[in-house]
Amino acid sequence: MMEQPLLSVRHLSIGLSRQGTQLPVLNDVSFDVAPGEVLGVVGESGAGKSVAGAAIIDLLVPPLRRTAGEIALRGDRLDLMSPRQMHRVRGKRVGFIFQDPMTSLNPVLSIGKQLKDTMRTHLRLGSSELHGRALDWVTRVGLPNPERILKAAPHELSGGQRQRIVIALALCAEPEIVIADEPTTALDVSVQAQMLDLMRLLHKETGTAMVLITHDLGVVAKMADRVAVFYAGRLIEIASTRALFQSPRHPYTAGLIGATPAPDGQGGMQVVAIPGAMPGVDALPPGCAFHPRCPRAQADCRTVVPPLVVLGTGEAACLHPLPERTAA
Amino acid sequence: MKLEGVDVKAVSKTFGGKAGAFERLLGRTPRGLRAVRDVSFSISRGEVLGLVGESGCGKSTLARVIGGLLEPTGGDIAFRGVKPRLQMVFQDPFSSLNGRWRVDDIIAEPIRTHRLRPKGEVAGRVAELLEQVGLSPADGVKYPQAFSGGQRQRISIARALAGEPDFLILDEPTSALDVSVQAQILNLLRDLQSRLGLTSLFITHNLSVVRLMADRVGVMYLGELVELASADDIFTNPKHPYTRLLIDAAPDLDPIDRTLHPIPGELPDPSRPPSGCSFRTRCPYAQPLCAETPPPLRWEAAREVRCHFDLTPKSLSVPA
Amino acid sequence: MIVARSLFSTFRSAPGATLATLAIAALFAYAFLVPLFTADPFQLAGMSIMDSFTPPLWMDGGNPAFPLGADDQGRNIITAMAYGLRTSIVVGVSAVLIGLVLGGALGLLAGFVGGRTDAVIMRIADVQLAYPALLLAMVIDGIATAVVGRERSATLAIAIVIFAIGIAFWVQFARTIRSSVLVERDQDYVAAAQITGRSKLAIVMWHILPNVMAPVLVIATINLGIAIITEATLSFLGIGIPLTHPSLGALIRNGNAFLQSGEWWISAWPCLVLVVLVIAVNVLGDHLRDHFNPKLRGRS
Ligand SMILES: Nc1ncnc2c1ncn2[C@@H]1O[C@H](COP(=O)(O)OP(=O)(O)OP(=O)(O)O)[C@@H](O)[C@H]1O
Ligand SMILES: Nc1ncnc2c1ncn2[C@@H]1O[C@H](COP(=O)(O)OP(=O)(O)OP(=O)(O)O)[C@@H](O)[C@H]1O
Ligand code: SF4
Ligand SMILES: [Mg+2]
Ligand SMILES: [Mg+2]
Repeated sequence: MMEQPLLSVRHLSIGLSRQGTQLPVLNDVSFDVAPGEVLGVVGESGAGKSVAGAAIIDLLVPPLRRTAGEIALRGDRLDLMSPRQMHRVRGKRVGFIFQDPMTSLNPVLSIGKQLKDTMRTHLRLGSSELHGRALDWVTRVGLPNPERILKAAPHELSGGQRQRIVIALALCAEPEIVIADEPTTALDVSVQAQMLDLMRLLHKETGTAMVLITHDLGVVAKMADRVAVFYAGRLIEIASTRALFQSPRHPYTAGLIGATPAPDGQGGMQVVAIPGAMPGVDALPPGCAFHPRCPRAQADCRTVVPPLVVLGTGEAACLHPLPERTAA
Repeated sequence: MKLEGVDVKAVSKTFGGKAGAFERLLGRTPRGLRAVRDVSFSISRGEVLGLVGESGCGKSTLARVIGGLLEPTGGDIAFRGVKPRLQMVFQDPFSSLNGRWRVDDIIAEPIRTHRLRPKGEVAGRVAELLEQVGLSPADGVKYPQAFSGGQRQRISIARALAGEPDFLILDEPTSALDVSVQAQILNLLRDLQSRLGLTSLFITHNLSVVRLMADRVGVMYLGELVELASADDIFTNPKHPYTRLLIDAAPDLDPIDRTLHPIPGELPDPSRPPSGCSFRTRCPYAQPLCAETPPPLRWEAAREVRCHFDLTPKSLSVPA
Repeated sequence: MIVARSLFSTFRSAPGATLATLAIAALFAYAFLVPLFTADPFQLAGMSIMDSFTPPLWMDGGNPAFPLGADDQGRNIITAMAYGLRTSIVVGVSAVLIGLVLGGALGLLAGFVGGRTDAVIMRIADVQLAYPALLLAMVIDGIATAVVGRERSATLAIAIVIFAIGIAFWVQFARTIRSSVLVERDQDYVAAAQITGRSKLAIVMWHILPNVMAPVLVIATINLGIAIITEATLSFLGIGIPLTHPSLGALIRNGNAFLQSGEWWISAWPCLVLVVLVIAVNVLGDHLRDHFNPKLRGRS
């Protein structure tokens, strides 16, 4: 008896048109986000995480295009909405934190103006209240001297400060769900912890759900309720955070966890890279896209595309999944 | 002749401290934002110096001053031996690539500028670099817009390597990368370091990365260098309270204990640093003395620490 | 090229812009193809006094040889308009190019060098902005004519008009380019080129310039409309281009004299062509502006 998901993505596919042909960038991806839930999205660089996030709120620019799929927010079909309706959903109901901070920021307007404009359009506040709220948000994201920050232009801020403004811009309209694309990569560990704390707090206060796209497994471990792993345009594993870290079932997920340099390793640290590189969208191998790099690959992996199947408490797309590891 | 080392001598950088016509009329000088304050250190040939510190503490500004992109307001940078060939990997993978250039032209630019290869070999070299950073040579004909954030950062790294630098400045080179690609790139950089004896400055907020890559690590707080020691010493035996807190703040991979350990308090406004020690407003060990006199940078064995006391700060996350 | 390709893909969703582009293409073809096959009606050989004031085909006295009628000198309106349109386009495009080159160079200089150079250039721009383009063009044309003398050749006269109109445009180009340069200058790709050791000039030419071209293209398009109108106004006032090489403006002025007596077609047709051309150019300009402004694309 699942409650109705807040966000439901079904069979989402995205194509890249090049010289008349369609290359699949994202292939038949389905997932749900429950109200108040944090879904972590991780995966190899270029796996399609950002593109999936952008597709949810219809921000793909040519040559990328959604070729199939249904997207529903509390039952409202976003994929059927007119650009006009979509415009009202964006920012107000779905907040977005872009990987490139300058996508959200206008280089020539002051930070204060941008924050106030966003709140004015979505919250209908008076101008006296706007200033107070803008100051409040800058303080909440932990920036010193908020008055200076409000007057500053984006290029006068450090990478991390800019990123925090982008977080404030996405949160200040109090959306139902936030799609956060690498919200903390530009941040140092301490500020990162502070931002994650802030997002958790808002999360509790307002029940905002979140799709947290990141490649930082540490962030996912601390923040996410469930984790979706992407590889070469496919969802290859999805499970509760605990299950995923304790017992990854897909060999790629296991490799990803193994590639993290552990912070408390003694002396000479080593990192174990997964050998080889992820294939580009124009050179996908047949069968399981991971097979050329997979230590468990067998003959059938080269021909059969593994479907996502239920394994234990989660789901994984692998023909020869790792055995379940119980808590040691 | 080779580059023998890089000396950073008492470098300061203040933004916006200059009086405009109006202020001069009133006889006022506006208070500038002191992003970097009196930082000195040396990097010897073949060494990797790591630089860590909170967001906004002045790491990128220092990197830009060292790279000659910004004029310091005080102090200077001296290169021992020859004037080195420089390259830099920038923090933001989106603004650091020219969107109107094809990727192969972007990577070939340093090769062509310094005539590092005969014309006929440039394309081959570019393909080789693309492969080294885990992209396909066929990607060369695309424009940067066709790549994800992590892929763009790798293009930027390939461009820096293409310049065959004597001195390489890396500003958060791997923070846009997932761990598996990050591991690949770090291994590549380490390999080049050991083979070519590359001198570099490695800025990152990822402490495990800096531990893996750096020979020595400098810790910055509010524009100042507060501790500088060998990578091992910094991590196993930090002396400055800030270094300790920074190490504790890094999230580990444990999904069950979800406590985060941000450094308590807020970063002070860099245009109005606190009196005395700049860290005193957040320091768990602060004494009245700390508010009165700024602590000097003390030498202790092979380490420099900017703290009045000789502390062995306790970890907060590991119960004592 | 990438710009062009993605631009065409946006045309599909903007029928107005598609229509405008087609109209512009058709008018250009008309202006440049017709004179290839006809005698210049503004030379004696092209006129036939016998046919003067022939009304359009569907009116009483219409003649199939003059579908849109003929003017006071018996010139075929269709042919005469092609010549007029050609002059208008040549003058408009050249004037915009002059403004673009001058303004572009000064804007790049102001934005990239900054400091005193910037201040001086922008102050001059401010002063010039205080005077309307038309007035400026009239003054420059007057001065140039006085210097060169009344007996100037037709080509020289056209060159003077082009220059007079073009000079009025540099300010807008310079300002736009300067502000784009100020944004681009802080981008890290410029810093990367600096670190690599490229010269200032190389950075401006190869890195910054291609990135500021988009807004320039937009302004050029919009200014093309303004230039054509300005020239038409000058010609209508009888200043500028000699009657041996009339533009649309001169044709309208010529026809204006006969409006009272009912020969409306002599001025109405050139008027219509002028209006269609200017509107089409403006619609295209607006479309380009929306296309290149990422803030307007998709999001608030
Ligand atoms: N405009 C575009 N044109 C062509 N290909 C594109 C375009 N945008 C993205 N791609 C391709 O789509 C794939 C997915 O990109 P996406 O940005 O979603 O990756 P990602 O998972 O977010 O990676 P990262 O962690 O590096 O940001 C990449 O392989 C990229 O090459
Ligand atoms: N061009 C500028 N004009 C004015 N202030 C600036 C400028 N660039 C940086 N600053 C200020 O200088 C301080 C240091 O910035 P810097 O970019 O060096 O930080 P950082 O240590 O690299 O931080 P991060 O880890 O977030 O990138 C910040 O307070 C920032 O606001
Ligand atoms: S000098 Fe004082 S305030 Fe500063 S770090 Fe040491 S103990 Fe803390
Ligand atoms: Mg991404
Ligand atoms: Mg920085």
